[in-house]
Amino acid sequence: MCSSSGADAPPVAFRDLSVRFPDRLDPALRQVTESVAAGEVVAITGPSGCGKTTLARALAGFIPALIPAEVEGEIRVQGEDARATDPSRLAEGIGLVQQDPDAQICTLRVRQEIAFGPENLCLPIDEVDRRVDEALRLVGIEHLVSRETTTLSGGEKQRLAIASILAMAPEILVLDEPTSSLDPLGAKQIFDTLSCLQQETSRTLLVIEHRLAPLLPMAPRVWVMDGGRIVLRRPTRRREDLVEMGLRVGWPRRPEGASAAGRPAVELERIHFDYGGEAILDDLSLAVRSGEILGVIGPNGSGKTTLLRLLAGLERSQEGAIWRADGVRVGLLFQHPHQQIFERTVRRELEIDGSLTDSEQSDLLKGARLAGLGEAAPLSLSMGEQRRLTMAATLRRDPSLLLLDEPFIGQDRRNVAWMIGSILTARERGAATVLVSHDVSLVSALTDRILYLGKEGEGSIEGAPSVVFDYLRRSGLTAFTPEFWEAT
Amino acid sequence: MKALSERRGKLTGLRGIGVEGNLLLLAGFLAVGLVSPSLWLKGAVLCIVLLLLSRSGGPKQQAVQGPIGLKFVFVFAFILFIAQALSVREGSLLFHVGVPITSGGLRAGGAMALRFLLILTSSFLFVTVTDPDRLAHSLIRWGIPYRFGYAFVLSLRFVPFFRNELRIVREAQQIRGIRTSVRSLSRIRRAVRFTFIPVLVSGLMRVDSIAMSMKGRAFGLHRTRTSPRFVKLGAADLLAAVSFGVLVALVALSRKGSWP
Repeated sequence: MCSSSGADAPPVAFRDLSVRFPDRLDPALRQVTESVAAGEVVAITGPSGCGKTTLARALAGFIPALIPAEVEGEIRVQGEDARATDPSRLAEGIGLVQQDPDAQICTLRVRQEIAFGPENLCLPIDEVDRRVDEALRLVGIEHLVSRETTTLSGGEKQRLAIASILAMAPEILVLDEPTSSLDPLGAKQIFDTLSCLQQETSRTLLVIEHRLAPLLPMAPRVWVMDGGRIVLRRPTRRREDLVEMGLRVGWPRRPEGASAAGRPAVELERIHFDYGGEAILDDLSLAVRSGEILGVIGPNGSGKTTLLRLLAGLERSQEGAIWRADGVRVGLLFQHPHQQIFERTVRRELEIDGSLTDSEQSDLLKGARLAGLGEAAPLSLSMGEQRRLTMAATLRRDPSLLLLDEPFIGQDRRNVAWMIGSILTARERGAATVLVSHDVSLVSALTDRILYLGKEGEGSIEGAPSVVFDYLRRSGLTAFTPEFWEAT
Repeated sequence: MKALSERRGKLTGLRGIGVEGNLLLLAGFLAVGLVSPSLWLKGAVLCIVLLLLSRSGGPKQQAVQGPIGLKFVFVFAFILFIAQALSVREGSLLFHVGVPITSGGLRAGGAMALRFLLILTSSFLFVTVTDPDRLAHSLIRWGIPYRFGYAFVLSLRFVPFFRNELRIVREAQQIRGIRTSVRSLSRIRRAVRFTFIPVLVSGLMRVDSIAMSMKGRAFGLHRTRTSPRFVKLGAADLLAAVSFGVLVALVALSRKGSWP
């Protein structure tokens, strides 16, 4: 029968916490000692594979209960030993929003998904309803309440995942890159929601993020992790603090005026595409020329991925025409890298398009920051490593039309820098590149032209970055301008 | 639950019937398919099921039928009919097509094909018109442990997932210039490795993360969980119950050889 949890709100504490996974030589966490006071906000950042997600999962009790690992040291959540407590019991006090929203949804409708947690807590039905309505409102997805979860976009799923945890009303909220799939406006809304939650309810927040500037109004304590350790920790209130901590670094930019945009590699003329009666793209005309990089930005659900699929020939428009230049070789990087990995080892994956000498393979792996992983099973790699593998495999084919769908998600700064270098090299070789990304700062630094795709009725604009950003500023869409995110 | 009753109110046809009503209808259709010896009754009920199925379209129907769809079911039923017709030699001889075709063979083939079709199509119909979440809650209300109820919901959650993954993997092959075929054993092995393994791995990864997601939302913490408000039975449910009674009566009559 239902019983009350009786949980208080004690602080989070780790002491000498080390975690080692069975298939890895190096520990994922090394003797981490820290504590978090009730109501405190902690922003956790650091390069890919530094242990951020492991820390979050250990805190929620998933490690070692659901993910086998050797764990040493102590983890206490609200006074309970997280190592010895079932995650379902810990869930009364701590909620973890995981990185991949798509992998968290376990029911078929939005309302049921949000109600799932409160129902497990045996709350009265009126309270379940109240919490569902509140969570829907907080993340701004009231309009999705009756939708089937399988029909949601990536951004909508991310908001749903956050709402489903908020409905549990945990005292401690851990969010693992909660805005990685969200458009800038959606990301801002989530950061505003977190700020609101913290002010109104004094919840303890631990947020794993690469973009720290939006968290500054909450005066977070920043933990910078590297190699399984917290290497830097300090309270942060100003953008200057981030600069001092080395967390604000400019991106390599495309060479000014060096664009040698040539013939169109692909052209769209008055394209109309709808899905289930809902117009996704309407009356869109566009040419992508060889030797140029076109950035595509816009809100979730505005048709950015659909545009890439049309350009790649994976979809057909209901109206309009698409022309591709003769002999165009298409390279498309999907959002989820595991869907385009086929072979048993990293080396064989790279050799699908032809064999490689040892030195070629070594250079390729080193370039993609995958050195030493040639014989590893690709699907055992981290998401970030898989994405770099698929990028390297795609570039190996020397595509003349390079289509990239959110390639920077889950990549740290060093890896992003490698990706930028690869994209610029392809541009120099004459590839026509279309880059879809929510990272407006990167798109601004990297692209020759930008296409802003608005949602239905909002319209779209295409042109030089300065022209598009001016238009967006005038239209009040400042979240889609680089200065809004300049310190991230 | 507020939203549930609102949604129920907007539904029409079989979707407007509650889970219990739909289960009764399914039981009635299955009784005809499995118990009744009458080919006429089986054929008539199959027509009714197909009519209902054609009027209950929607994304869920596509998700359940998957890429194969009912066409495969009909082809397979036809093969069953032919196999029985060719192999059963009872009854009077009707004609020769290399082998003797008898009235008993045609009857046995018809019975088997109709039984197969009724079971499959009525099951399709049930899954198409029944909200899995409502079904799970009904199962739980009847005393089935909620873990089993949610196991059912999750299995349905994976149907569209696998279909979507398969489509994307095939698109990725197309973009990468990978061609798979089944013309030789080695090509079949390659097709399996390049198609089913990525899909399977995706599925296994998804199972792990969903298990974490459920545990992370207190699934299994208590022996029971909050149930949605009971939705009152309506006229449509009554009609379903009456239909069930009629079907059972027809099955009983056909068993006695009285009618039809």
